Amino acid sequence: MTSAIELSTDAHREEALRATVKNLYIYVVLLLIVVGFSVARVGEVEMFGPGHFLSPDSVVNMLRTAAPILTLSSAFTLLMIAGYIDLSVGSAMSLTAVVFALLIREGATFAVAFGSAAVLGMALGALNGLLVMRLRITPVIATLVTLSLYKGTALLIVPGGVSAIKSRPGRPMPAWINDYARADVLLGLPWAFYVALLVILALVVVQRRTLVGRYAAAIGGNRTAAELSGIDPVRWVWGLYVLVGLCAALAGAARASYMSLGDPLSGDGMELDCIIAVLLGGTAFAGGEGSVGKTVVGALIIVCVTTGLMTVIPAFWQTFAKGSVLIGAVALNHLLTRDRPRLL
Amino acid sequence: MVPGGSFTSKLSNESFLSLFMAGVLLLLFAAACVFVPNFYLPRNVINLLTNYWYVIILGIGVTFLLVTGHFDMSVGGNVALTGVVCAWACQAAGTSPNELANGLGLPYGAAVTLALLCATGVGAVNAFFIVRLRVPSIIVTLGTMMLSRGLAQVITRGAQRNTSLPDVFGVVGNTFLPGTPLKVAVLIMVVLVAAAFALERSTVVGRYTYLIGANVEAARLSGVKVNRHLTALYLLSGVLAGVAGILLASEFKAGVSSRATGYEFDALVIALLGGVSISGGFGSVLGMFVGAIILSVVTSAATGLLLSPDWQFTLKGVVTFLAILAQRFALDRRKG
Repeated sequence: MTSAIELSTDAHREEALRATVKNLYIYVVLLLIVVGFSVARVGEVEMFGPGHFLSPDSVVNMLRTAAPILTLSSAFTLLMIAGYIDLSVGSAMSLTAVVFALLIREGATFAVAFGSAAVLGMALGALNGLLVMRLRITPVIATLVTLSLYKGTALLIVPGGVSAIKSRPGRPMPAWINDYARADVLLGLPWAFYVALLVILALVVVQRRTLVGRYAAAIGGNRTAAELSGIDPVRWVWGLYVLVGLCAALAGAARASYMSLGDPLSGDGMELDCIIAVLLGGTAFAGGEGSVGKTVVGALIIVCVTTGLMTVIPAFWQTFAKGSVLIGAVALNHLLTRDRPRLL
Repeated sequence: MVPGGSFTSKLSNESFLSLFMAGVLLLLFAAACVFVPNFYLPRNVINLLTNYWYVIILGIGVTFLLVTGHFDMSVGGNVALTGVVCAWACQAAGTSPNELANGLGLPYGAAVTLALLCATGVGAVNAFFIVRLRVPSIIVTLGTMMLSRGLAQVITRGAQRNTSLPDVFGVVGNTFLPGTPLKVAVLIMVVLVAAAFALERSTVVGRYTYLIGANVEAARLSGVKVNRHLTALYLLSGVLAGVAGILLASEFKAGVSSRATGYEFDALVIALLGGVSISGGFGSVLGMFVGAIILSVVTSAATGLLLSPDWQFTLKGVVTFLAILAQRFALDRRKG
């Protein structure tokens, strides 16, 4: 007599199909978007020629501007897998960008400025970790508080009357600040991109193969069970917050280098972009599962969409478009992950 | 509660905290009076109490939702959208070659209704994703914030609509209550807060809100229609944002797409300052009101001390953080 729990072969096939769709849909979406923008102005612009979405210049430019979101969203994924969120990443990025630009303008070497920014980022992340894990303030509220703290500090560092840390009379910004994020190192792409690539590869490995990734999933899946199994959530999640802070600093340095100035508002909205990337990549809201690799694909989708849309719609449609992408990502994510209702 | 104990020990935790924060407010006010010239003048005090009226109206909806454990970050965008829709609907139809001067040519009443419908619509979208699809409210409402503000930007082409508006458009936002320096909007704010307080204290609907926040499963098992309740709260928050949007548009005689930027954060801050807790179904609109005055005192004092506006973010963050810690400390001490 067949056991009551045996699935029929049809049900097996359906499960397998579902799993395949879930794994591949994001690549399909990216492909559709790329193709879509490539043919959008097919009458006006020559394929792969100047001005085309996939022209070498355009692709290089997209990848250069994508360095910050790629770095940040990879680390953000790990944090969300553990079931925690950090809404202050945008402000942390702005603050580190401002400090980086300031140090370079005042004569520091690249190494000193970069290192200082990195240390600052880790400190900012550590503060988040302290508020969330030690003081046990809800992550959303704790990181909204730090968002305003970091943003306020960045705004205060920039003297009144100027909009950003940039060249001022008697103290010009050295031209080499651009090199990190713009100068061609290999295939037209700058150091900032390859650093981002390195971070992505490292974090993909971390998430899939190392203890950190496993523990994050365990904590996100069932924090109490993880605790009882000997995993200390405080220590591990605190570490993830520090990692996110470090990546925010890398992103900030890249942005400051790209723009040759430290803009205290440059990171605004980054946290939303990270959330969209993570959602597109299929990480469940409540944590417990997720993939850094797929988040990266999600981040690429965002970059393609924002770059592509700039050529097709007027500027004042941008916010609405971004909002639609977020809501669309939310709906898509809902359809493809097992949803467990939980307060974020 | 201790029989025969002191006055403060008989108070509910919410009332205790509201009183505690009121005490904090008085301390801050006293400090500000010492350091800032003319802070104690009656005219200034009235300003302190009334100049955040719009954030308080938004705060009502945010407080109720926070008590149930949910966020609503869409209120700022909703305010902008409502104001813009109201203006656009009122603008004379097809009279000008300038796109931004043409509207729907509707009478003011119809325009207000349309605007309120839009506001409720935003609340409905929130409710759909949060209650039906169980998506975390922070993510959904950030999305609807962008959608509503984005829509406002589309309607105004990134700027504002302030031409060919009928005279009646500017009436409700600029009328003063007879004999006082207070605007009608302030009266509306007071009425809404009083109604909200009555709702939270004395009605079944109000108590269900706290029950849902304290233990949603217990509420569900006790027969509370949680989904319907949460939907109603999101719709309410939307409507309140709509009211604020219409009043603000009227006051400035324009529908501006950048209106209310950051108001959702301010609404959250005043709720937190007032002792509303995200976990455990705790907090009161009276506390939120006190929180709003605290924020008003802090920002006014900062301006009075000639600190640049850039200090606002840092101040809000620090004040909120200290308030959270202080409240936790006070409650822990109380429990002994």
